[in-house]
This record gives sequence, structure tokens and C-alpha cells, in this order.
Amino acid sequence: MKSLSDYAMEDEKKDYCRHCSRPDGTMQSYSEKLQSFVKLIIKTQGLDIQVATTSAKAMMMRLPAWEKFRETVDFGN
Amino acid sequence: MTGSQRQKQKQATRQNIIAMALQQYGENGFLKTRTADIAHASKVSHGTIFAHFPTQEELIVSVIEEFGNRISARLHELTYNTSGIVDLLSAHIQGLLEYEAFYTRLVIEGRLLPKDARNTFILIQSTISFYLGQVAEREMEEGKIATLPIHMIFNSWTGLLHYYLINSDLFAPGESVLLRYGDEILNFYMELLAPKNID
Repeated sequence: MKSLSDYAMEDEKKDYCRHCSRPDGTMQSYSEKLQSFVKLIIKTQGLDIQVATTSAKAMMMRLPAWEKFRETVDFGN
Repeated sequence: MTGSQRQKQKQATRQNIIAMALQQYGENGFLKTRTADIAHASKVSHGTIFAHFPTQEELIVSVIEEFGNRISARLHELTYNTSGIVDLLSAHIQGLLEYEAFYTRLVIEGRLLPKDARNTFILIQSTISFYLGQVAEREMEEGKIATLPIHMIFNSWTGLLHYYLINSDLFAPGESVLLRYGDEILNFYMELLAPKNID
């Protein structure tokens, strides 16, 4: 997070960004975030839902807050 | 040498290998580049490459991730004060210009790369599609561009860019296709997005 506006509710004490927060400023759950991420990928790139879900999981895994969900990622290798 | 110095040197070697691999993949492609070529360019032994990246797949994914970090940071920097689609797409071209050879290989060979690398590519595309979606929605509301599905706005833009990049040998042999055609592509694309006045 680079500027104050990147923080949830512009609160620097919060260790998550505005994209991971609910309207009341609390942090979204893993499934809430995953669902909104998948929707965003489909809306902006038009990808298949399965592909979007796998990619969203892989992206979230790289963010410190969601890293613990690593085992839920199936890369299909 | 202290533990911390050793750690710093290890990190520096790793970064150097990634930087050289990025260059080599851009010049020769992912499939044709050998780890021996990367070791030679990095001025390290072949064994050192595998000490940092146990498999070729791990190296490829790390390099694409590094490219993703760089291009995302650059896009963030370039788009920080941009206000409209033209500025954003111009920034996209500027960002890609710095890594044109590598990005072109990524587009051409993408489907042959490991799934993990493919996911990283989607992550990179998500950065620009996210910014583009936000600006496009605002400009649609203001009537500055036609009302169109966001994913088609993004896909038609990348489709156009990728067509020129994939066929750069036909459009701009031996030079940068983005430098030569970037403005023309952008101007044409904005014409396509312009609101349609049907009488």
C-alpha cells in the first residue's frame, strides 16, 4: 500500500487494503474476497469461471493475508 | 562474511539470474533458452542456477513474476495521475515498451508454459484490466465513450496490441513495433470507442 487512500477506510493501522474491506471497514472473509475477485476477472477480462476461480485463488495466495489458504489452490498441473 | 552479508549476496545473485533470464527469454524465447545460456549471461556456474531454482519451471515462473511486479509498479506509477482512457492506454504502451521483447515471447509462448506461469500472466493482465475497467465505466457514464462491455473493451485493446506484437516481424522488422505503431493503434482504438451518434 503506497498511499493513505490505499488503506481500508484510509486507516494506516489496518493491515489490509480498501479492496479487501467491507463497507464498514472490516476485512472480508476468504470466500467473500474470492467471490468478488472472480467476478472482477470475469467482468474485466471475460474469462471462463473455472479459469477465473483458479487464477483468483493463485493471486490471493500471493497476498500475505490469504497465504494460509495456499492448500486450497489447484493449479491443474 | 556474516550471515546477513551471505544472505544479501545470495539475494543479489538470485536477482541477477532473474534479470539475465528475463533478457535471455526476451531474445530467444522460453522454450529455446537453455539454463546454460542463463548461467553464462549471469556469469555464474550452471549449478548455481539450480541452487536458486531447482527446476526450469520455477525459474520461468520467478522471471514472469518479476516482470509482473515491474510492469505493475510501472503501470501504477504511470497511471497515478492519469485521468482518462487515452492516458491509461498510452501508459500501458509505455510500460510494455520497456519489456517489449519479453512480453512478446510471453504472448507467443504463453499456452506452452506451465499453468503457474499462465496464472501469473492473468495476474499481470488483471492489473491493466482493473485500471481500464474503472476509467472506462467513468467515461461511459460521462458519455465520453460508447457503452460497451468492460471485458470487450479490454480484450479488443489487448487483441490489437498482441496482433502487432506477434507479427512484429511483418510490421516493424528489426525495430520496436510499439514505438512505430503505438500512436496509430491508440488513435484508431479511441475512434472505435467514440460514442456513436445515430441520426
